[in-house]
Amino acid sequence: MTVASESALARKGSGRVKGLISRLGLLLVIVLFMIIMSFLSPVFLTVANFKNLFIQSTILAVLALGQTYVIMTRGIDLSIGGTMALSSALCIGLVTYSGVPVPLALLIAVSVGAGVGFVNGFSVTKIGITPLIVTLATLSIARGATFVYTNGANITPVPDVIAAFGRGQLFGVPYSVILLVVLAVGCHAILTRSVFGRSVYATGGNELASRLAGIPTSRIIIITYVISGLMAAIAGLILTARLESAGPRAGVGIELTVIAACVIGGTSLFGGAGSIIGTLLGVALISLVSNAINLLGVPPAWDDLVKGLVIFIAAVVDVYRRKYARS
Amino acid sequence: MRETILEASGITKRFAGVTAVNRLDLTIAAGEVHCLVGENGAGKSTMIKMISGQYVPDEGELRLFGKPVHFRGPLAARDAGISVIHQELQLIPQMTIAENIVLGRWPRRAGAVDFDKARSIAASILPTIGLEISVDTRVEELSTGQQQLVEIARALAFQSKLLILDEPTASLSNAEADRLMELVGELRRRNLGILYVSHRLEEVFELGDRVTVVRDGKRIGTEPIGALDQAKVVAMMVGDQRSLQVAKDRRPGATILKVDGLTRNGIFSDISLEVRRGEIVGLAGLIGAGRTDVARCLFGVEQPDAGRIEVDGKAVSIASPRAAIDLGFALVPEDRKTQGLILIGSVTDNLALSVHPKISHAGWISAKAEGELVAGYIRKLQIRAPSPNHAVETLSGGNQQKVVLARWLATGPRLMILDEPTRGVDVGAKAEIHRVIEELVREGLGVLLISSELPELMAMSDRVYVMRAGRIAAELVGPDINEEIIMKHAAGATQ
Repeated sequence: MTVASESALARKGSGRVKGLISRLGLLLVIVLFMIIMSFLSPVFLTVANFKNLFIQSTILAVLALGQTYVIMTRGIDLSIGGTMALSSALCIGLVTYSGVPVPLALLIAVSVGAGVGFVNGFSVTKIGITPLIVTLATLSIARGATFVYTNGANITPVPDVIAAFGRGQLFGVPYSVILLVVLAVGCHAILTRSVFGRSVYATGGNELASRLAGIPTSRIIIITYVISGLMAAIAGLILTARLESAGPRAGVGIELTVIAACVIGGTSLFGGAGSIIGTLLGVALISLVSNAINLLGVPPAWDDLVKGLVIFIAAVVDVYRRKYARS
Repeated sequence: MRETILEASGITKRFAGVTAVNRLDLTIAAGEVHCLVGENGAGKSTMIKMISGQYVPDEGELRLFGKPVHFRGPLAARDAGISVIHQELQLIPQMTIAENIVLGRWPRRAGAVDFDKARSIAASILPTIGLEISVDTRVEELSTGQQQLVEIARALAFQSKLLILDEPTASLSNAEADRLMELVGELRRRNLGILYVSHRLEEVFELGDRVTVVRDGKRIGTEPIGALDQAKVVAMMVGDQRSLQVAKDRRPGATILKVDGLTRNGIFSDISLEVRRGEIVGLAGLIGAGRTDVARCLFGVEQPDAGRIEVDGKAVSIASPRAAIDLGFALVPEDRKTQGLILIGSVTDNLALSVHPKISHAGWISAKAEGELVAGYIRKLQIRAPSPNHAVETLSGGNQQKVVLARWLATGPRLMILDEPTRGVDVGAKAEIHRVIEELVREGLGVLLISSELPELMAMSDRVYVMRAGRIAAELVGPDINEEIIMKHAAGATQ
């Protein structure tokens, strides 16, 4: 598992070669895993299973895109599960109960996501609360608000347009997967090529030095939380479209899996290092593990245990990789 | 002759080929206040760290009460009876005085901490140090001076024989400092040995029995206090007057920066200075005199409580580093690792950090423009890195500093604040940094130079302000810019 990582240092530092190896390493683990699975389960290498796998991991991946930005600035966003539930329930509720037009309801949903993100970022940078506490609070607030709004029940049916998005395909590829690809390409380009992306790396790498160099570090950090909130709202809408219902229990506990995917993908909890490609590979590995547990008939109870072990190993690797990079 | 507590002979310590302490001898007797003086970087701190077990000497011998000792760490030295009171106090603010005094040596009863015993130990010591306050008071509620007394109390609780005080009055008010000096006198009467490290010559002459002067890691001399006066000590500290290397034929132009009465409460006050085009203005002073704080204020990192800053004759307020950069300011901070660089980032990341607007269109960075910019500065400053994509962490100190300098040159500054620009930099890189600065000053750059290295400051500056305890003590020009006069103002010696 030394493999499962990619740091800024590896990305550009004491060489691209090292970065390539570590990235290939995670890819190699994934390929090996797939080869073994194809022998163990006849169903594994079928189009249906892969389609299922992609659909399953889309939501995780969308959330992980935003989380990558936040973790890179040494933050953490636990609120995403709550934001998901709140924005999707609000969207469907506004249409179904209040007769709000669908486009406006969608706009409100993503605005709410961005709003929660702004509150998180503002509290971290301007008030000075630690990210863990702020987002724990907003997680609870957002989910609690959803329970209040929905009275604890799921809202059905969802508007036809949204249900159609959930079922729709283009050349056999679900719309949600296409949306993910677009978002991922965008996030990757922004992180690697834009002034904002550079500022994210810099702020996470050394906030004081970045501020002294004229980077508006508070603003950068706030924007990363806004991105994470936006992604949470989008993930919530994808889930709702697929389930054709919105409810207060959407995405319970998903934040930990998302953070794990980022860390496995080489985003350092110490800040300043990470990549979208790494994060997507992390999502792939976690999804494969869940899929395997499912296919092999392991009781679902094992799911958390195995996932937990994978996360623990990835965190240990993160520490040793940093030590190795230093020496 | 009194009993000798500690005898160090021929102690030497090298760091990466640089000799910080060179064959130094030092003895401290019971009932003696032995003062160790020298300029910044003379080797005082390294010496203290060797005596107190933090560093292992490369050569030489330490004897405690006549027996050779080899400390494995600070705890071993403390157990042997050597306590250091550092400039940064090492107390746990949330704990009470009693808890701090017995910290790490808790009296126990039946496996649990015996708090009654702890309180009585503390209560028996507090009167000695003249602190009349409940032992249940939390340390965070005490003033700095009182906290320092608690540290001394802790040393006494450990039955220390030798007390090392490192710049003990640096962060104390005058009243607190007086009280501390009284206490030191009292401890001397109790037959403790005291090694007193201070820049402040008044204190040395008030307290000391003997004085050892160090310079460039070597002992220049040890004399009884009666054989010295302040001028003599300063002369020993600075050594032979080194000749100024640079012929200054600069012709400063219009005033860029004018600061009037700048004050940050409790840190510095009433700072007035001026920097003109094509001029290097030195800011001299001891560590803690407030030079860096003034620089941070000018660069918008902190906000002044009073005073006026004018740029090109117009009053400005500098709300953030970005605002300072927009005014054409640049700041090379004193600690490049924590304040200057994104260590895990590449040379490119670090170099381009402040000029993103110049190399981007609509928020997207042009790889071509960035590459050209970086390559240009790597050439111009002869930055030695395997490639621009190499992590800056892996470069030498000199090359790291050149990356910081290059970043600021890329912004096209009019006024540059250099805070210890050549600290920890090798000789070659130092010369190149000086050359580049000199070149830019000839093209009209104004420079405010903070340096604890007096030869550098003297060689480069057209004018020098000397700061002492948060104020400007003197403005020097021409032949007055020499080590003796600067040190006299910086240390507050009277003639």
